[in-house]
Amino acid sequence: MACTSLSSSSAHFIGSRVITGESYSQHPAVSVKFRPLRVSAAAATCESSTEERTRGYAPPRHIASPASLYEVLGIQMGATCQEIKTAYRRLARVLHPDVAAAESNTTAYEFMRVHEAYETLSDPEKRADYDRTLFRRQRRPLSSPFAMSGSGVAMATYSSPPSSGFSGYTGRTWETDQCW
Amino acid sequence: MHIAGSGTFALLLHSLSFSTVGEGMAEPAYTVASDSETTGEEKSSPAFPEIAIGIDIGTSQCSIAIWNGSQIELLKNTRNQKMMRSYVTFKDEVPSGGVSNQLSHEHDMLSGAAIFNMKRLIGRVDTDPVVHASKSLPFLVQTLDIGVRPFIAALVNNVWRSTTPEEVLAIFLVELRAMAETQLKRPIRNVVLTIPVSFSRFQLTRIERACAMAGLHVLRLMPEPTAVALLYAQQQQQTVHENMGSGSEKIALIFNMGAGYCDVALSATAGGVSQIKGLAGSAIGGEDLLQNMMRHLLPDIESRFANHGINEIKSMGLLRVATQDAIHKLSTQTSVQIDVDLGNGSKICKVVNSEEFEEVNQKIFEKCEKLIIQCLHDAKVEIEDITDVILVGGCSFIPKIRNLVKGICKKEALYDGMIPLEAAVRGAALEGAVASGISDPFGNLDLLTIQATPLGIGIRADGNNFVPIIPRNTTMPARKDLVFTTVRDNQTEALIIVYEGEGQKVEENHLLGYFKITGIPPAPKGVPEINVCMDIDASNVLRVLAGVILPGSPHPAIPVMEVRLPTVDDGHGWCAEALHKTYGSTLDLETVQKKI
Repeated sequence: MACTSLSSSSAHFIGSRVITGESYSQHPAVSVKFRPLRVSAAAATCESSTEERTRGYAPPRHIASPASLYEVLGIQMGATCQEIKTAYRRLARVLHPDVAAAESNTTAYEFMRVHEAYETLSDPEKRADYDRTLFRRQRRPLSSPFAMSGSGVAMATYSSPPSSGFSGYTGRTWETDQCW
Repeated sequence: MHIAGSGTFALLLHSLSFSTVGEGMAEPAYTVASDSETTGEEKSSPAFPEIAIGIDIGTSQCSIAIWNGSQIELLKNTRNQKMMRSYVTFKDEVPSGGVSNQLSHEHDMLSGAAIFNMKRLIGRVDTDPVVHASKSLPFLVQTLDIGVRPFIAALVNNVWRSTTPEEVLAIFLVELRAMAETQLKRPIRNVVLTIPVSFSRFQLTRIERACAMAGLHVLRLMPEPTAVALLYAQQQQQTVHENMGSGSEKIALIFNMGAGYCDVALSATAGGVSQIKGLAGSAIGGEDLLQNMMRHLLPDIESRFANHGINEIKSMGLLRVATQDAIHKLSTQTSVQIDVDLGNGSKICKVVNSEEFEEVNQKIFEKCEKLIIQCLHDAKVEIEDITDVILVGGCSFIPKIRNLVKGICKKEALYDGMIPLEAAVRGAALEGAVASGISDPFGNLDLLTIQATPLGIGIRADGNNFVPIIPRNTTMPARKDLVFTTVRDNQTEALIIVYEGEGQKVEENHLLGYFKITGIPPAPKGVPEINVCMDIDASNVLRVLAGVILPGSPHPAIPVMEVRLPTVDDGHGWCAEALHKTYGSTLDLETVQKKI
C-alpha cells in the first residue's frame, strides 16, 4: 500500500517548513495516540505552499507540468468521452496511491490532478466551459489566477511550463493558493 | 519469523490490557501502541507480504474469507458453518462468542446473557435514536440521554455485568482470529473489514479500536457495497477477456441490506478498475423490520419490557425468535401463523400475511427507495445506463425489497452471479489480497477500486449551519478548501468545529472534533480570510488545516494549524453543546461568498 514516510516526504520539499517528524517526536505521548503520520505530498504541499507562494513552488522533478487538462490526461483536445475514460483508467492504474510504489509520495497529488482533469472533461458542460477558458487564454493570457473561477480553478491549480505561452501564473499548486 | 514474533507480543499486550476495558475512563495505551507498532512493522518488512483476511462483521451474522492463492475461500468453524452468528455470551469467567459457542443463540438470548447487534451500538451516544431502538433487545441497554456512551450489560447469575460494544466485538474477533489461525496454521495480523456506508469516522475509530483489542491490524475499512463492487469487477474481468480500459464500461447498482444497515453504491467498472460513483446508506435494516413486526404483534411492547426483569427478557426473546421466524417464512409464502406463548399468561396467536408485513414496514421500504434514488442522482447515472443490479445482504430475500429495487432500476432480472450473504466478505478477501500486494499469474487480482467519500465533511459556520468542505461522493484521495471570515470586529479567535454527515444543521451530523484558531490579527469583521482545508489521504486519514490571511499580506498571519481527526472521544455527545454554552456565537465564522 502507498505508505509515504515522513523522511521521503520532506525530502521532496526541502526548504519548506514542514512540521513533520521533529515536532511530533518531541511529544511521544501525543504520537502514540495516532498511527504514525503519513504526510502525503499534498499535505506537505499545503504546508509549504503558504511559504513558497512568493518565491514560486518548485514541483518535484519527475512531475511533468502539463499546460492543459487534456495534457494531464495525455489526450487530444477533440478526444471522445470514451477516450477520456480510458485515459483516466490507464493513469489511475499507474498513479493511484493504492497501486503506485510506496516510495513515491507524490502520487496522491498526481492522482488528484488526473482525477480533477477527468472530472472536468467527462462532464460535457464543465468541459465546454473549460474549453472556452482555454480558448480565451490562448488569445489573451490572464494576468492573475485570482480572476478565474469555476472550472478555471482547475487550471490555476497547475503550474505551466514557460514554453506554453501563458507564463502569467506559474507556481500555483493547489486551489488554496488563490486565497492565501 | 519476524511477523510471528511481533504478533505474539501484540497478543500478549492485548490480553493483558483486556481486563481494563470495562473500567472505562482512560484510553488504554495498548491500543494505539500496537497500532503504530503495526504500521512501523509494515514498513520494515515488505519482503513477505502476508495476505490480509477479509471479515464481514454483520449485525446478525459474520463471515471470514481469504484469497487462497487461486480463489476466494470462506473459512468454516468447527460446526462447519460459513456464517456465524454475531453475538457474545457472558456466562462464566470467560465470555464466548458465536464462532465457538456450542449453545444455540436462541437459548442464550432468553437468559439475558447474550449481547448482540453490537454493530448497531458501536460508536453511538445515548441520544442516538438507533440506540433507543435497541432498548427492546433482550439484554440491558440503558441511556441517560446526555450524549455519552450507552450502558450495556449482560445478565450473569442475576448480576448485570457491564460491557461495551467495542469489547463485545473484540471478544468476537479474537474467536474469529483463533479460528482462522488454526485453519491457516499461521498468525493472522492484517484484516480488511467491511463497514456500513453510513458509519461516521468516529465509528470507524471504534471498529479499529476493537480490532486492536483483538490483536488485529486494520489494513482497510471498506464500505460493504464497494467490497461487492470489487467482487463484481473481478467477475467481469474473468468473464470478458478484454484489453484494459477497452471501453465496455459496466455500471452496477449495488443494494446491500442486512440486519442493521442499508447501503447503496453505483460503480463504473472496466478493465478491472472500478470507480465508485455514488454511495448512500442508512442505519435501517432487518432489525427495524423485526421490531416493527414485534410492535405490531404486541403494541404495548415498550411498557411491558421497560423493567428488564428475567421473565420479561425471556418473553422478549421468545417474541423475537417467533417474529424473526415468521418474517423468514414470508419470503417464500404469503401468510404465516404465529403461535407463541410469552409466559406470564400472555399468548400471541395470529396469522400475518405479507401485505400486513409490508404495511407495517412501509416507512423502511420508502427509505430504501429514497437511498437508491439519491445514489443515482449523486452518481449522475441514468437508469438506462445500469448494466447490472446487484442485490445482496440478508434482506435481499424479502420479495418487497427485490421488487422495489427492480422497479426503480426498471430491470426484469437481478444479477445472479453472487451469493447474497457472501458477496461482501468475498470482496473484502479480494481487497485483502490486492492491498497486501499479492499478484496472481492469471490477472485475477489485477484490480483497483477508486473509492469515494460516503459522507460530507465540513465545519460549523453561518450560525448553526453545516458547511461541507469535502462533499459526499468525492473521489479519494481528496483535498478541498473553503474560505471563511470573522463575524465580529477585532475577533481574534475562531472555533473550527468539524462535522461529518448530510444534515443542514450541525446537530444533524456527527461531531468529529474541534480546535480554536487564536491570534487572528485585529481587523474589521469580514476582513481576515480563514482558509480551512481538508485532506483525505490514500489511507483515508482526515486532516484539517486552517490558516489566516490578511488582505495584502502574502504570508499567513499565524502558523497554519494541522489537526488530524477525529479527535472526539466517547463522551462527545455533549461537547458541541458545551462549546455553545461556553462561547455562544463569539468565535463564529461565516462563509465568504466569492468562492463556492
